[in-house]
Order: sequence, then C-alpha cells, then structure tokens
Amino acid sequence: MSSHEHHVIDLKYLLGAAAGLIILTILTVGASYVEIPRPFDLLTAMALAFGKATLVAAVFMGLIWDKKINTMALLFSLLFFFLMIGITLLDTLFRDRPFWIYN
Amino acid sequence: MSAATKDFKIREFPVEENPKEHYLNAASGLKSWLFTVDHKRIGLMYLASIIFFFFVGGLLALALRLELWEPARTFMDADTYNRVFTLHGAVMVFLFIIPSIPAALGNFFLPMMLGAKDVAFPKLNLLSFWIYSFGALFTLYSIAHGGVDTGWTFYTPYSTSTGTAVISMTLGVFIMGFSSILTGINFIVTVHKMRAPGQTWGKLPLFIWSLYATAIIQVLATPVLAITLLLLIMERTLGVGIFDPALGGDPVLYQHFFWFYSHPAVYIMIVPAFGIISEIISTFSKKTIFGYWLIALSSLAIAFTGFLVWGHHMFVSGQSELSTIIFSFLTFFVGIPTGIKILNWVATMYKGSIDMKTPMLYAMMFLFLFSIGGFTGIMLGALSVNVHLHDTYYVVAHFHYVMMGGTVFAFLAGIHYWWPKMTGKMYNELWAKIASVVLFIGFNVTFLPQFVMGSQGMPRRYYSYIEQFQTLHQTSTVGSWVLGLGFIIVGIYLTISLFSKANKASSNPWGARALEWMSSSPPPHHNFNHTPVVLHNPYDFHKPISEFRLGIDGSDNHHEHTEVAQTQPAEKS
Amino acid sequence: MANINATPGESHLAHHFVDSEQQFDSSKLGMWIFLVTEVLFFGGLFVAYIVYRSWNPELFYMSAKELSTIMGAINTVVLIGSSLTIALAVRAAQLNQQANISRYLIATILLACVFLVIKYFEYTSKFAVGILPGELYTYTGIDHPGAPIFFSIYYMMTGLHGIHVIIGIGLMVYLLVKTRQGSYNAAYFTPVEITALYWHLVDLIWIFLFPLLYLIE
Repeated sequence: MSSHEHHVIDLKYLLGAAAGLIILTILTVGASYVEIPRPFDLLTAMALAFGKATLVAAVFMGLIWDKKINTMALLFSLLFFFLMIGITLLDTLFRDRPFWIYN
Repeated sequence: MSAATKDFKIREFPVEENPKEHYLNAASGLKSWLFTVDHKRIGLMYLASIIFFFFVGGLLALALRLELWEPARTFMDADTYNRVFTLHGAVMVFLFIIPSIPAALGNFFLPMMLGAKDVAFPKLNLLSFWIYSFGALFTLYSIAHGGVDTGWTFYTPYSTSTGTAVISMTLGVFIMGFSSILTGINFIVTVHKMRAPGQTWGKLPLFIWSLYATAIIQVLATPVLAITLLLLIMERTLGVGIFDPALGGDPVLYQHFFWFYSHPAVYIMIVPAFGIISEIISTFSKKTIFGYWLIALSSLAIAFTGFLVWGHHMFVSGQSELSTIIFSFLTFFVGIPTGIKILNWVATMYKGSIDMKTPMLYAMMFLFLFSIGGFTGIMLGALSVNVHLHDTYYVVAHFHYVMMGGTVFAFLAGIHYWWPKMTGKMYNELWAKIASVVLFIGFNVTFLPQFVMGSQGMPRRYYSYIEQFQTLHQTSTVGSWVLGLGFIIVGIYLTISLFSKANKASSNPWGARALEWMSSSPPPHHNFNHTPVVLHNPYDFHKPISEFRLGIDGSDNHHEHTEVAQTQPAEKS
Repeated sequence: MANINATPGESHLAHHFVDSEQQFDSSKLGMWIFLVTEVLFFGGLFVAYIVYRSWNPELFYMSAKELSTIMGAINTVVLIGSSLTIALAVRAAQLNQQANISRYLIATILLACVFLVIKYFEYTSKFAVGILPGELYTYTGIDHPGAPIFFSIYYMMTGLHGIHVIIGIGLMVYLLVKTRQGSYNAAYFTPVEITALYWHLVDLIWIFLFPLLYLIE
C-alpha cells in the first residue's frame, strides 16, 4: 500500500484532449450550418457532444487511470438519466394514441 | 496492492462491561452535542428530532381522525382539514420517515458494524444534520403561516395557484433533500472504503446492505426532487409555465418528475426496515440467516426496480395508455425481491431457537403487517383494480400498512434491539411487550376498516362522507386512540429506563454476532479500543463468540493512527 | 513521489482514517457520487427540454435562432480552456510546483469570469428585447403560442449552470488562498483534485447545453 502513487497525467494527454475538444467544437458548430435532415442533425450534434464528454471524463477527470468504481458511478448516473427520460417519453410521445388492445 | 500482505497479529479483545468512559460522557455541555462530529451523537440528535416530528405528525393524525368522527363537521372546518392532512403527510414523509432509520439508527450503527471509528466524512455528517434542522425550520415557518393545503405531493396546477405557504414548505423540503443526499454519499463511501480488515462484502451485516441500497436510491433520486421543487418554486414566482397548462405547460409532467423521486423514496423508507428485520430475526432465532446473498442482493434489486414503476401513481392522470400498461407490468416485479426476503426470513426461523423478546415480537408484527401492505400493493398495481380503488381509503390503508406497519414497526423493533447498546440501559421487558401488543391492536383497528371503506368507494382526503361509512370511520378513530396510548407507554418506559440506575445493560444482551455487539454498552468514543478484525459472517451463531471479538494486537484507537497504518492490510475496494 | 503513508503525524490526516490513501480515495469517491447527483439534478431539466422539444420541434427551431451561436461557441472554448488549466493545476500540485498551482488556478478563475461576462452580455441583450423567463416574456418576434417555454427552459438551464460557475469560482478562490499558504503539495492535494472534478462537470454540462440550446437549425 505504501508504494501507492497518484497517477500524474502526462502533459501530452492533457494538451491532446484540449486540442481534440476544440476540433470537436468546431465540427459541432460546422455541422449546424450543414443541412442535415431531422432527426439526424440532432443525432450528429449529440454524438459529437458525447465524444467531447468522453474526452473530458476520460482524460481531464482522469478516469482512464482511476479506480473503476468512479467510472461506474458516472455510468450509473447516465443509466438512470436515460431511464428517466426513456420512460417519461413512453408517456409524452404516446399521449393521444390509444393502445391497440383496446380497439 | 503489494503491501496488503504484510503480517499482523490478531488476538481476542474482551469487552469491558459497564465502562466508566464512553461516548456519552466523553465530553459534556450543549456544544459537545451540537458541534460534535461523532456519528453516534449525531445519530442520537437525529433520533430526538425525528421522534419530535413523529409526535407532531401523530398529533395531526389524531386530529384528522377525530374530525372524521361525524360525517360533516366535528370540530374543524374543511379548509383547516385540508391543511392538517397536508401537514400530516409532509411532516411524516419528509421530516420523520425518510430520515428515520438511515439517519438515526444508520448513523449510529453503520460505522460500528464496519468496525470504523466514524463515517467517511464526519463534518458532512454534522452538516447534514444542520441542513435537516434548517429545512425543518422552514417547515415550521410554513405551519406558523397558515400551512399548506395541496396534499404532501404539491401537485400542479393547484400548488401554483393556492394562496397558502407553498414556497416556504417546498423550500424546506428542497433543503432537507440535501441532508438526505449527504447522508447517502457518506454511507456509500463509508461502506466502500472503511470496512474492518477481513470484512469482505460477503461478511457485511444485512443492515449495512440495506443502508447501502437505500443510500444509492437517496443519491440517484433526491436530486430529481430538488429540481422538481425548484421548478415549482420558479413556477410560482416567475410563472415559467413548464407545469402550467395555461402557459403551454403540462401538469402531468410534474407528476412524472415528482414520482421519479417519490416512488423510489418509498424504498428509502422501507428498505432500511428490511435490514433491521434481517438482523433481529437471525439474532433471536439463534440461527444463520437463510439465503444471505439473496437478501443482500434483493435490497439492490428493489432499489433498481423502484426506479421503473413510478407511473403506477398516475394511472388516472391522463398519461398515455401505453405507459400505463408498462408501468403496471413493471410494478409486479417489485413483488419478487420483496417476496424473496419474506421467504428467507421465515426460512431463517424454521427450526431456530426462537426467543420472543420485544424486538422479535415487533419483527413478527412487521412480517404480518408488511405482508398485508405488500399484497394490497400488488392489487393496486393491477390496472383495472387501480382505476376502481384509485384515491380511495384503500390506498391510504395500503401505504399505512407498509409505512407504519412496516417501517414504523421495524423502527420500533430496531429501537428496542439497539436501545441497550445506545444508552447502556435496559427497558422493562414486560411493559415493552404490553405496549407492542397495544400498538398492534391499535394499528389494525385503525387501518383495517379503511381497506373496507376504500373498497366500498370512500375517497381519501374528503372532509365529509356519507353516513354509510360512519361506523367504520368511528372504529378507525377509536383505533387511533389505542395507537396513541401505545406510543405513550413506549415513551414512558423508555424514559424511565434512561434515568433509573439499576438496569444496566450488558454489552451483548441478545447474544448477537455482529460487530456493534463486540463493543461495550454504551460504546467508547471511537467505537472500539482496538482495530477490529472480522473472520466470520455476522450470522455464524455456530462459531464461538470469542472469534468475533478479534482485533489487531497492539492497536489502540485512542492514540494516533500512524502505528496502525503500517500493519493494517488494505483489502478495500 | 514520496511515500505518503509512513510519515508520522501528518496534519491533514483525519483521525478516523487509517492512512492518506484511504482518505484520498474516500474523498474522491465521495466527490464522484456528488457528481452523480449533479447529473441527475440537471437531468430533470434535460428531461423537460427533451419532452417540450418533442412536442414543439418548430418552436425550438425558431427560438434557437434568437441565441448567438458565436457567443455560445466562444464560451464553449473558454470553458474547455478552463478545464485544461485546472487539470494543469492538479498536475502542478502532484509535481510539487507550488507557484504553478497558483498560476493555473488564477488562469482558471479568469476564464470562468470571461464565461460569466459573455453570459452577462447575452442575457442583457435578450432582456433588452423582452425575452425574459415565464410571464415576464414580452418579445413578439417568435410567432408561436408556446414561445415563452423555450426561453424559460433556456434561463433555467443556463441560470443553474451559471450558479455552478459562480460556486466554482468561489471554490477556486479558496484553493488559491490555501495554495498561497502552502497547504497543497505532492502528498496532499485532495481539495484541488476534487474541485477540479467539480469544474470538469460544469464543463461537461455546458458541452451538452451548447448544441441543444444554440445549434438548432
């Protein structure tokens, strides 16, 4: 245990992640000016945002080198967020559609 | 970890009986309580607070029952009645039952059961108590300023238009949410990082597992309540319109938000109770718990499933038929892990040497009452039945059987189980048994008639009713008096036990095996005078008790930690 | 790095922990769980956003045009920069470079202030034309009955995010004072580390807010 050391993140990873984030931001803005049919415009924007989020979490927040439990905590929060939105949409998207079995 | 294999010697540490120095006299004065970071004292302060609010909520309940004596007015007007049932609900839910077991008993015993000196973040723990008190002040302020008449659920659009003190009330609940979150964070980290050497996940007491599952719900669900109430406050102050149909908003969305928290919150209330029952049934059956892993993991399963079923509170709200059907379907799944627990508890008792002491008596009552509450819950989860029973007294009876017959009876079981450990005093066993029987009778007389009334169509929250229901309402009201009497008896003999000199409790009056019983009663300031080591499962009653009192030789919790640091293995994850 | 455990009498080690590593890991896990609560806290607003966007896609397309993509993009870059500088501050602490901790913290605080200043100009330009939250909304440029809803959600999301930025600045000023007192070094830098985690989350939230609020065509 006494040999434990905190991982010092290499400078090249930090600067690389920052550069990657800037590039992805430019791509995100650029994509918004290109005519992409719905819903693929939103999907593109979200895919780019998740790419950026992954960079921040993995490199800046050091999850690559960290204990797995911390990554799990983050993934759990996303899982429950998606449950919340997914199940809510089952209501809001189908409000005025009667269920087939009743017809 | 490389250094984890370092050798260290363990030996048995005999427990000191009736110690002269313990956490209660380690420091004195009001400040030593209000600013303590000792989890045991914080637990007791929580205990005192929640008992106070249980008393307030109880008085409100008695007033409600009394008002329902006559079909029309008995002694208060309809407006007051609306406020009283709202306050009864809000006080009981947010001020009593959510913090009850985790913040009071959990705070006291979680670190002890792990062999830790304290929770991971003692200052946050104190902060959580202060936040709770601060939030409680807002609630009292709202009561003083006329109360709230929305029901404890604060449904929009009524809650955005009523003239009562909704803002201060919801602000209080919002603030108390942070206290709940802090407790949850503290418990999760403590269970992960502060377990005694040798205490693997498979050797955790089941009370710890249940608190761990509860903490996960607290952490995942409470923030959603916070944002919901924030939106509600914004709705009232700025008219943001997200929940207001007049502004293009949707009131059903409020219900989604609210129940995304409040349904899992039901499990914040009941899952810790399951933990207490597991401890007590095993201890008083003198038998290894049946199906340890099933009980442990079913707590987590309940925590998870609890997030998928919130819409069963909204079957008649106008949500889509598709989601109604899915929610009803998913609701039945909650019955599976709960059924597993009941089966395992009964199987634990099978051929055990059952000792019907007061805690065990309460545990038996819990099994009976909670089973009724649970099964009626399954019935309410069925769509067509629900449409008939929705918002009737049947629902009221159902959740009182779960929340009061379940959680409160388990809480009483826990109080009686751990009372000697917390205070070093033993209560009068005969009076405790009498009180438990009085409570059991009072509870059933109060709430069984409500099932009958509900199934016949008596709606909940109504000020007046048709005469057909008067006998049942009056029976229920009489039952509430018996309940009140039972709590008075409990209060009296517990208070007497505190002040009488003759009834000192031994360190392990029930012959239990979990770590908290391997410390003196009351425990020393740092819980143990050594660093405990765990070899066995806490329910291994067939192994000699000396093997449960092990600690690291030469370790001394009074002194600095550095000597221990070099010898202790670290198998934490 | 020096052996951080065996040093007797380390002042930062609280009495109930066995060693520094246990304390560090606990604090970090505690912070991560706090971040989980933050994700779900903002999650509620994202749910409101998604539900209303699915109901009124046209409204969202019309309303987003009112927001300045340039300012949003600049703010995105500013926050990414501040994430980098606070990560560098942590690195400086790990490498025992006292002066660099201060420098990077100051850089982060300045970038956070730039973010708020830009946000201030955005808000005031909206206020000027009557785009205010809720019933204060008086703008007539968007021809849609639900027009105030988008901006209510916009103000709630960016406002809550802005409050987090302000809290972050407060935390970093505190860190700066403690750094000047020499409180942080390679053996003990937990507060810097967990504040950095918090700040990265503020960045993460903005990464999603930016395309969702500004970049709807």
